[in-house]
Amino acid sequence: MPPFMELFNKFREVLASHNKAVEMIADMGEKLSGEYLFDTSYIESAYAELSTAVWGSIKSFDSFTRGRYPNLMDAFVRIDNRISDMLSNTASTSGEMIVFREDTLWDMYYEVGGKNAGLAEVGNILKLDVPEAFFVTTLAFDEFIAFNGLRERAEALMKTDSISENDFAALRDAVIGSEIPSALDEAFDKAIKKMRTKCGASSSVAVRSSAEEEDGRLSFAGQFDTVLNVPLEGGAIKEAYKRVVASLFSLHSIAYQRRFRYDAGKMKMAVGCVAMVDAVSSGVVYSVDPSGKKENALISANWGLGKTVVEGLVEADIYRVEKGQVPKILGTRCGKKESMTVVLPSGGVDSIHTPDDLRGKQVLDSEVIVDLTIRAQSLEKHFRRPQDIEWAIDGNGRVFILQSRELRLGDDEGKRCASVDKYLKAMPVLMRNKGIAVQKGIGSGKVFIVKAPDDIKNVPKGAILVSKRDFSAFVRLMNDVSAIITDIGTPTSHMASLSREFRIPTIVNTDDATMILRNGMGVTVSIDDEGSAVYEGLIDDVQGCSDANVASVTEGHEYLRKRYVLRHISPLNLIEPLHDKFQPEECKTMHDILRFIHEKSIMELVDCARHTKASLRGYAAVALDLPIPASIVLIDMGGGLEKVRPNVKNDAKKTATAVEIASIPLRAIIRGMMSPGAWHNEAVPLRMKDLFMSMTRMPDIHSTSMSSPIQNVAVASREYVNLSLKFGYHFNIVDCYCSENPRNNHVYFRFSGGATDIMQRSRRVEFIASILREHGFTIWMTGDLLIARLANVGRVRMEEILDQLGRLIAYVRKLDALMRNDSAIEYYAQRFKEGNYELMENGGKEF
Amino acid sequence: MVIDDEKIVVDMAKMALEHDGYIVETFLNGESALARLKEETFDIVVTDFKMKGIDGMEVLRTVKEHYPKTKVIMITAFANLDTAVEALRGDVFDFFPKPVKIKELKSAIERALEK
Repeated sequence: MPPFMELFNKFREVLASHNKAVEMIADMGEKLSGEYLFDTSYIESAYAELSTAVWGSIKSFDSFTRGRYPNLMDAFVRIDNRISDMLSNTASTSGEMIVFREDTLWDMYYEVGGKNAGLAEVGNILKLDVPEAFFVTTLAFDEFIAFNGLRERAEALMKTDSISENDFAALRDAVIGSEIPSALDEAFDKAIKKMRTKCGASSSVAVRSSAEEEDGRLSFAGQFDTVLNVPLEGGAIKEAYKRVVASLFSLHSIAYQRRFRYDAGKMKMAVGCVAMVDAVSSGVVYSVDPSGKKENALISANWGLGKTVVEGLVEADIYRVEKGQVPKILGTRCGKKESMTVVLPSGGVDSIHTPDDLRGKQVLDSEVIVDLTIRAQSLEKHFRRPQDIEWAIDGNGRVFILQSRELRLGDDEGKRCASVDKYLKAMPVLMRNKGIAVQKGIGSGKVFIVKAPDDIKNVPKGAILVSKRDFSAFVRLMNDVSAIITDIGTPTSHMASLSREFRIPTIVNTDDATMILRNGMGVTVSIDDEGSAVYEGLIDDVQGCSDANVASVTEGHEYLRKRYVLRHISPLNLIEPLHDKFQPEECKTMHDILRFIHEKSIMELVDCARHTKASLRGYAAVALDLPIPASIVLIDMGGGLEKVRPNVKNDAKKTATAVEIASIPLRAIIRGMMSPGAWHNEAVPLRMKDLFMSMTRMPDIHSTSMSSPIQNVAVASREYVNLSLKFGYHFNIVDCYCSENPRNNHVYFRFSGGATDIMQRSRRVEFIASILREHGFTIWMTGDLLIARLANVGRVRMEEILDQLGRLIAYVRKLDALMRNDSAIEYYAQRFKEGNYELMENGGKEF
Repeated sequence: MVIDDEKIVVDMAKMALEHDGYIVETFLNGESALARLKEETFDIVVTDFKMKGIDGMEVLRTVKEHYPKTKVIMITAFANLDTAVEALRGDVFDFFPKPVKIKELKSAIERALEK
């Protein structure tokens, strides 16, 4: 058998087992999406099947590549062990009581808690500046609790019918008065000594909670204590540790745990000891503005430590920024910033009046705003979800990320509710668009003004809670109140996070709600896409318009815990095949393994096809005979062409026309490339500089050798195509699956290179990005390289997108030569969107 | 009433049904569920088929005998014809293999309430 055909048959085997495994992952994802009731035996049997399929795929890949990637099997064993441990509830741990941030691996979240694991990932993997830190693990917590008999005490307390704050206070006192077991005591002393060497003996730490948070879906914002500015001394640190652990037991924390159906009293807590940043300014960045456009980020800032911002204690500065390669500041709201938190030389922190010269002064200049936005973008990209990020800037202007966690956003909130709208129109307006909307929704009830923390216990069910300022302890009331309004506060505070989690309509920073609204007054609060308003009067039934007070299935603790196994199965971390890290060792999930197999198999096949032109003809490969000179060779994996291509040399037709292409994605791309006007054959004026560039530029490393006769190869089946095109000095790669099931569909597009100078080439890439963004692609760019991805799109829509992508591939072939300044990007983008593919105005005049 | 020996199933069912305004009580075994049935009338019982001690079939028989107006919906991880036939003979209102789509469970409950 000719080598290519042998390889090709093996390739088909690899692909078949690969596709089966990918479908299993998609199916498991669907069953665990929250739309199904499932049990442990389902997860066990589904995983057993998946693991067999992935192993099968690895075996056929191994045979295909003649054993070139032995490390892939090691990666499989590592991931499989981890998942099996999780399924049998014997999650292996490092066995350490304390681990340092730099030694924390991405999958140690059980041991160090979600918050600490997140900090480690930001520092160790993203390499952003984070403070030095060590983490006291959940193993240490278990030892500490068991040693002092606290578990039984807590569980007994939870079983009593009416627990009072006094009972909790007694339990907290017991924790604080407990003894640290000797092994943990020694681990503390060792860690403190090491930390003193790293940061200096006189430095101090923030001791903060990091409860076992599953995949961070729940924020636990402000639920547990943080002790700031603790000197690096054994006694002080151990006392602070006990204080943080004790905060597990409070009425408001238990209310939060119950809402999400935790077995109250069973939660474990890791603790982080994080070097204090003596901050000149601090605050929070939301990588998505929760009450605005998702393209915008929201930053809040105050002088000093971040406590004032996260606790909503002051009217902080608010900056709205449009994200992008060059973020654009859209608006600034300079807050009054009456107070700030500072560190005390003797330990601890203090709240002081902000000095007059700082009070009215904007905290951040535009350079820092842009810098913070860029950091937020990279965190959002890395964690693949909107992020809620705490940051601080020290006296040297160094920006530290203190925490990054998922920012929860409502799905379809904010729509107006017709049944209530008609009543609202007739009601007098007490406040309109005052303050900042935090959570959309509608709530009706009697006003209760909280003047002192003690008032919390008197707030009646269904009340509209009105308060001078934000308070995270309001979480206790969030199952019962109809809406929350504050005079002072920030949309990025802990309370704001909790309001979103509990879906309680909330407006903060209204200035004077406590003056306008009176105790006992019946009001209706309505917050939607069009703004916020408080109306005088009650509406009896707003239930149908409100999701408040109902936790969704996907927030349940047990659900999140069981679903956690998917973290080692579904996410895709190996994205860029030409990146150094595209290695078996970097595979973190089963999906990564499959992706590696898929990508390397295609590369192998395309490479072989390019170098064996003579032997290709008559087998599964044909040249496409198109009206445009694109010179593409198609390798049909089955279903790629209308008729089955015979395998016998003599009978084989050497070419196929566009109408003979049966591959759905390839047909759509080719149709786009052949669109009238999109493909230009005419010469585009090259300047002397460009000509010189084209002579000196070496072909890209990813190209095949210049002597290879075939540059353009499509590997296709009916629902799949991998298309590699080299036109002149630039490269296009499209990898697309387009079937009837949107969940399976994806398109990956990679564009790089060109003959002109780097400025022009990067402008061309900017132009491509601006078109693809409109189609919903997620884009990553650097220099003249662009990577765009899109998934979960229905077949019809996908074909339209591929048609546009085909037009784009054809159109941009020579466009870099015309990209002489930045305004050309917008000019050609506009023309392209209008379907005007002329490169030059009539008469050959270029833009 | 939702009965299943796994917390995840009763938790998810409770959260999903409460979202639609149902009042839901959950039990992790047949014994405690039957004890509660003596105190309170339930329109619907959603029960797992296979449980240690009192299983779904026994729950079904007890409900049919003592609380004939209560409808029983059975869910089970062991989706095979035999168990289904056995359950249906016992006059179960509907029967679902796990994983069961929550939407389908909800519509079965709606139908049961209409009858």
